[in-house]
Amino acid sequence: MRARRILAVMALLSGLAAGGMAPGQTGQTSPATGTGPLTVLSWGGAYERAQRRALFAPFTEATGIPVAVERYDGGLAALRRAVAEQNVPWDVIDMTRSEAMAACEAGLLEPLPADLAAPAPDGTPVERDFIDGAFGDCSLTHSVFATVVAYRTDAFPGRRPTEIADLFDQHRFPGPRALQRTPSVNLEWALLSYGVPREELYRLLSTRRGLSLAFARLAGLEERRWWETGSTPVELLLDGEVAMASGYNGRFFDAMAHRDAPIAILWDGQVQEHEVWAIPRHAPHPEAARRFIRFATASERQAALTRYIPYGPSRHSAMQGVTTHADSGIDMRLHLPTHPLNAGGAVIKDEAWYARSRTRIGELFRAALTAEPPTDD
Amino acid sequence: MDHPRPSAYTFNMTRADTGKVEGRGARGVLRFLGLVALGGVTGGLAALLAVGFVGAVVWLNDLLLVSPRGRMMFAHPEWLAVATVLVPTLGGLIVGQLHRAIPEGRPHTPADAIAAVQTRRGRLPPRAGALSALSGLVSLGAGASVGQYGPLVHMGASLGSAGARLLRLGRSEDNITIACGVAAAIATAFNAPLAGIVFAHEVVLRHYALRAFAPVAAAALVGHVIAAEVLDRGALFHVEQLAIPRPWEFGVFLVIGGLGALVAGAYMHAILGVGRLARRLPLAAPLRPALAGAGLGVTALWVPDILGMGQETLRFATIAGAFGSVELAVVMGLKLAATALCLGMGFGGGVFSPALVIGTLFGALCGTLIGLAGAAQDTFVFYAICGMVAVTAPVIGAPLTSLLIVFELTGSYALTTAALASVTLASPIAAQLFGRSLFDIQLTARGLDLSSGRGRAVLEDARLGDLLSQEGVTLRPETTVTAAIHALGQAGHGEAYRVDADGRYRGSLTLADLEVMREQDRSDAPIADCPATPRPVLGPEASIWAAMRQLQEMTGEAIAVVDEDDVFHGVVYESSIARAFLRYSDELRKEEHGAG
Repeated sequence: MRARRILAVMALLSGLAAGGMAPGQTGQTSPATGTGPLTVLSWGGAYERAQRRALFAPFTEATGIPVAVERYDGGLAALRRAVAEQNVPWDVIDMTRSEAMAACEAGLLEPLPADLAAPAPDGTPVERDFIDGAFGDCSLTHSVFATVVAYRTDAFPGRRPTEIADLFDQHRFPGPRALQRTPSVNLEWALLSYGVPREELYRLLSTRRGLSLAFARLAGLEERRWWETGSTPVELLLDGEVAMASGYNGRFFDAMAHRDAPIAILWDGQVQEHEVWAIPRHAPHPEAARRFIRFATASERQAALTRYIPYGPSRHSAMQGVTTHADSGIDMRLHLPTHPLNAGGAVIKDEAWYARSRTRIGELFRAALTAEPPTDD
Repeated sequence: MDHPRPSAYTFNMTRADTGKVEGRGARGVLRFLGLVALGGVTGGLAALLAVGFVGAVVWLNDLLLVSPRGRMMFAHPEWLAVATVLVPTLGGLIVGQLHRAIPEGRPHTPADAIAAVQTRRGRLPPRAGALSALSGLVSLGAGASVGQYGPLVHMGASLGSAGARLLRLGRSEDNITIACGVAAAIATAFNAPLAGIVFAHEVVLRHYALRAFAPVAAAALVGHVIAAEVLDRGALFHVEQLAIPRPWEFGVFLVIGGLGALVAGAYMHAILGVGRLARRLPLAAPLRPALAGAGLGVTALWVPDILGMGQETLRFATIAGAFGSVELAVVMGLKLAATALCLGMGFGGGVFSPALVIGTLFGALCGTLIGLAGAAQDTFVFYAICGMVAVTAPVIGAPLTSLLIVFELTGSYALTTAALASVTLASPIAAQLFGRSLFDIQLTARGLDLSSGRGRAVLEDARLGDLLSQEGVTLRPETTVTAAIHALGQAGHGEAYRVDADGRYRGSLTLADLEVMREQDRSDAPIADCPATPRPVLGPEASIWAAMRQLQEMTGEAIAVVDEDDVFHGVVYESSIARAFLRYSDELRKEEHGAG
């Protein structure tokens, strides 16, 4: 109950802060452009705060276009409805690549022009400067984030978890677990815990036997909590309600850097995913949206974002510009999921697999574990 | 028999007829380095072919909804059942048509490459090689329960042989380039260069001459580099943090080896048995694979684990608890039956991958039973791997290769030692009960017995017709004894052969027989009246090996060569047979002991 109250207060404060800190409010008109504000759908919390400082405010400063931010928790249901009604309230969506692929295939996104991104400062062409797979038909990767497991450093006296299988070993590492209420990442970790190599995860998860093994592993966890909002696992860990929790590496870093949280990240099994910019079909300000994406994916802006949150830039030129945390002075390179010291046991999420099988896997996941009625994504 | 054509040699380090080792010194080193470079190039090309082949199979499996990943990503699950039956059936239909274009009406396999090398015939026909590769590709792409390593090995061998033909190399070098292609294919497919080298020597060359080792090693190395850089494959089995087996468990691994030999025997004979059965079916050969495909597809509706190469099934079998014990037995039996059905009815493909799956399921079953008996299951994967090696090593006749594959893929000495315990019994027991390998059993059925080594195989493959001489004395049955004695005296021979006006053989005569007739005052009698000396005869297609066996039973100058219609073709002198034997032995000795 206490945690829920705290969460409610946090959500309220976060909402107020979002409104208060936004350079413009929905409905305002930009004096510079004569258009309404650019409405960006993003993920809230520490991530959104970092974007405000590194991207949104500088964009407004550079162009005079105010940016309004609305909260996004993933999924395509709201976008599907909005596009169907031709009443889309957002100009840019910050989404995962797998969802962008599925949305693009379903005709929910605008195709992006090939020359959208700006060249690197030294003139390196964009196709050589961006990481592999950054360019989609309707999306452009701006950073690589990881879903990781974090644990309370005081939960297991005398030992620390070192591999992802420890998430499921409640004998050696006792205590409740918090996991995201999605099949994504949980299925990968469950199968990894059987010793399955990373390269074979999605082939095996495509079989009935593989899914059954993964569901059995997840169902075997005692005292399991599901979370849906990225800030929840941090709070659950800080409150001591769980000993280990999955979550986004940026949120955990933020808690460690800003709140001196007694938590540590287990990098083994981290699931890396591309975070992309996309423009929804029927967006009210598509030209301004394209301008924003070009601005936000520039090397300088990508490097600037890493001063606030440790997400790996999608450009090699930006990677070279990664320095220290803006507030604490922590060397950010060591906290990026793409740093060689952290990436050794990384799983590269098979987004094409998820884009095509999302609905079926989701239904099976809910039926096996959460006993919720299926939704459309 | 003619000597090998010296003019056709480019890298002719040895001359069989003189026994002299040529090319010692700097020139010899250069020639040897040329052969090593050729091995590397052959290996590189074979590896690229293997990469392309494996990539094409994966692509087809995804496209044709055979692979679990392809099926999961398919947007219309309601059509999956139809595809499961239709794809292997249509695949079988295409494969059947492809085989009509191959003279033997069947796809060529590693057994054909082994036969070419062991008999020193050398050349592998390129057209049959290409069609066999295509047949393997379609079979694997359509989800037939066959292996990919067989087609890869034969493809590598064909490529090596084509290179040798292009450069007009001699037989010894041809054999080496064939082995190079084979080594590169294994090194690429398994990402295991040592296993590739040993497989080429253990199974194909069956000797370890230094002269062959270097080119084969170069080929495997290039294949490995390409596999590591281009194919970027994950380990076949990934094992970490192994518990060390308890001492008594090594006893169990030995028993698994003994029982695994029986499973291997059942597997091999099921394939051969279905093959025999298929030939008796009232169904045209090109349609048989389609029938097998339909049967496979229908069964796979209930047990999808039997479809395709079974990589997912193999992986699950190494995970404790992924299968129940009954389930393990059922899937193992069905996989064995499915593979026998597919290969026996004419799908193209190898025997190794399904054997890996069947063996791993067998090992997992043993591990599960030990677990049910109350033993701890922290060493479960040892049982699975031991079963895998116990079944596959006898099937391909390569215990060392199997062990090296385990070692190179897992990097685990403990696991390799456990596998060694199983192989210790598996290979010898299977060899005693069934034969050295499925390849050897198939070749024996085709008349080439490799059980006594290369020497016998070469002599069995060499035709007697090549030693045929027309210098023997042939006499008409109506020739008088006096005339016959005169003819033999003039020719300087002690034996003559009666041949009638139609050219038919009517028995042999010796000078001694004729002299007896003359002493009996029957000098004017026709030699038809002379009692014939019993002499063995052989057909023109008989082998030198058969002739040598006959020589053990007779004394005389020569053996008459007579065809099925009794037509006399000539004689083969004892001295020619002895010379041929010595020449072949000499060639083999030099090939197997040549250092460079």
